[in-house]
Amino acid sequence: MRAMIFSWEYPPRVVGQLADYINKLSTQLAKSKVETYVITYHDSLTGAVEEASEVKVFRVANPIRAHVGFLTWDLTLNQEVERAAASIYYQADEQVDLIDVHDWHFIPAAVTLKNALNIPFVYSVESLEDHRSPDSNKPYNISIKSIEWLGLYEAEKVSVKSEWMRDEIARIHSVPKDRVTVISPTADSWIKDVLELYRSVVGDGNK
Amino acid sequence: MKNKLSVMMFSWEYPPRVIGGISPHVYFLSKSLAEIGVKVHVVTCDFPGAPSHEVVDGVEVYRVDSYRNPAPDFATWVYLMNLNMQREAASIVNKLGGKIDVFHAHDWLVATAGIGLKHVFRKPLLVTMHSTEIGRRDGLHTDTEKMIHETEAWLTYEAWKVICCSDYMVSHVKWAFGLPEDKLVMIPNGVNTHVYESSETEKCDSFRSKFALLDEKIVLYVGRLVYEKGIHVLINAVPKVLEKVNAKFIIVGSGYMKEQLLNIVRSMKLEHKVLFLGFVDDETLLRLQKCADVSVVPSLFEPFGIVALEAMAAKSPVVVSDTGGLSEIVDHDATGFKAYPNNPDSLAWGIIKLLLDENYRKYMRENAYGKVQEKYNWQKIAQQTKQIYKAVLGEYSKSFWA
Repeated sequence: MRAMIFSWEYPPRVVGQLADYINKLSTQLAKSKVETYVITYHDSLTGAVEEASEVKVFRVANPIRAHVGFLTWDLTLNQEVERAAASIYYQADEQVDLIDVHDWHFIPAAVTLKNALNIPFVYSVESLEDHRSPDSNKPYNISIKSIEWLGLYEAEKVSVKSEWMRDEIARIHSVPKDRVTVISPTADSWIKDVLELYRSVVGDGNK
Repeated sequence: MKNKLSVMMFSWEYPPRVIGGISPHVYFLSKSLAEIGVKVHVVTCDFPGAPSHEVVDGVEVYRVDSYRNPAPDFATWVYLMNLNMQREAASIVNKLGGKIDVFHAHDWLVATAGIGLKHVFRKPLLVTMHSTEIGRRDGLHTDTEKMIHETEAWLTYEAWKVICCSDYMVSHVKWAFGLPEDKLVMIPNGVNTHVYESSETEKCDSFRSKFALLDEKIVLYVGRLVYEKGIHVLINAVPKVLEKVNAKFIIVGSGYMKEQLLNIVRSMKLEHKVLFLGFVDDETLLRLQKCADVSVVPSLFEPFGIVALEAMAAKSPVVVSDTGGLSEIVDHDATGFKAYPNNPDSLAWGIIKLLLDENYRKYMRENAYGKVQEKYNWQKIAQQTKQIYKAVLGEYSKSFWA
């Protein structure tokens, strides 16, 4: 299996909890014989490197310096994520089994790659805009929520870390609960559950 | 090439959505390319009442969800709209089995869609730069302006070739983004002369009487009432012209300078000589252009100058300021009169010269119409564009992407 993981944070760039989680996830996937690529953002450490764990990491920077907000920064960065993903895809003889996108930042790239190249994706929801900015219905927050919604709509599978988050996704975005898989990162079966989810996506005949 | 050459164009406007000059440009370019055997797919923004997919004059037109949720600001909306455009275009290309030879983007408004699809499908991207932020704003003053400028720079960097509509724009774009010479191509903008031929011929005499007295010549201005268009220069030239010849100045268009211009006219007590029409319907505009004794384009910044070309196609003699694309469209004393930019005396001089000499007007009209037909016709422009596509594909076929 060949998988690409999209995350806007990955060591050495640590913003929240996600960076460490992606590090652990990609290492365990590589150990489980999944050819694992991480595409992430870094302002200066750009390019491709292979970690000791055999995880291949591509770091991209935003080609635009001046921005009016976080959203324009994110939306322009997505083209660089696509460029990196396409490089992996074409070098791998157009064989990439799935993309696992963590949080909303790189949903646009995942959606384009799915529609263009038939690569299915899992949307792993770390947090939601409604929780980060409660009671906020400004155009900025609505825009982020619309990207979350697009990700939930286009994803083959949605993955969350708790029952609570599954309920919240159902409540906020009206996603049927059976589309959402709960995988607890603290469970003993964690990496097996992740692999099972990946296999269910790859085996769906969406290639 | 074994199959028909196929191109996918991205434009944020296409009829019936008309905001500026890109919409008619893409309409005529795509139609003319289709006429010479190029398969053209245009991906554009949705418009109330217009179908999401239709074939227009042999061109496949797709109108995508242009993101109708509230967006924080215009620039952020542009990138959000591009997300949808990219998603829907990706799906269209996929359904076509990837059979698109080149992507062609028009301006920064579709930059991210074009750049993303270029990489995902590994096909060459061309861009037509119709204008630049640094030119429109005369510098970069805010974060928004800088961001748009950098987006334009990125788009021209990613493009295989950058098409500009005038030699002036070629040098401007080269300077603005530091591009190498061989990346730039000049292909002029076109004008459709047929619309001026076909409109039913109500006698100019009776039509003119709606706007001017019998003994008044008609001086026409068409354009937005904004500083860069130099309309204030024309208004300041009005009394200078009236010293020598009786005329009515007809101003078509609107803009933020309207009140200011009205005040100047009032202070000169020339309200009866300057008529502000605001926006007019296409038919009225066409007739005004055909019946005007002289059309004036006094711009201070002008990437191309389509209004001058339209006037020439309508056989109206033109007085333009010697700047930007206008300098190339008009040959002084042959196809029109070139005045010093931002100089009411020079502008008045040209207007008077034309208005007082019927033979000179006739001579200008005929020369100008000939030049329009020879250089700015869409068939010729489509041929030049097709040649560029082929040249790019030739280079592409030798690259590791092919």
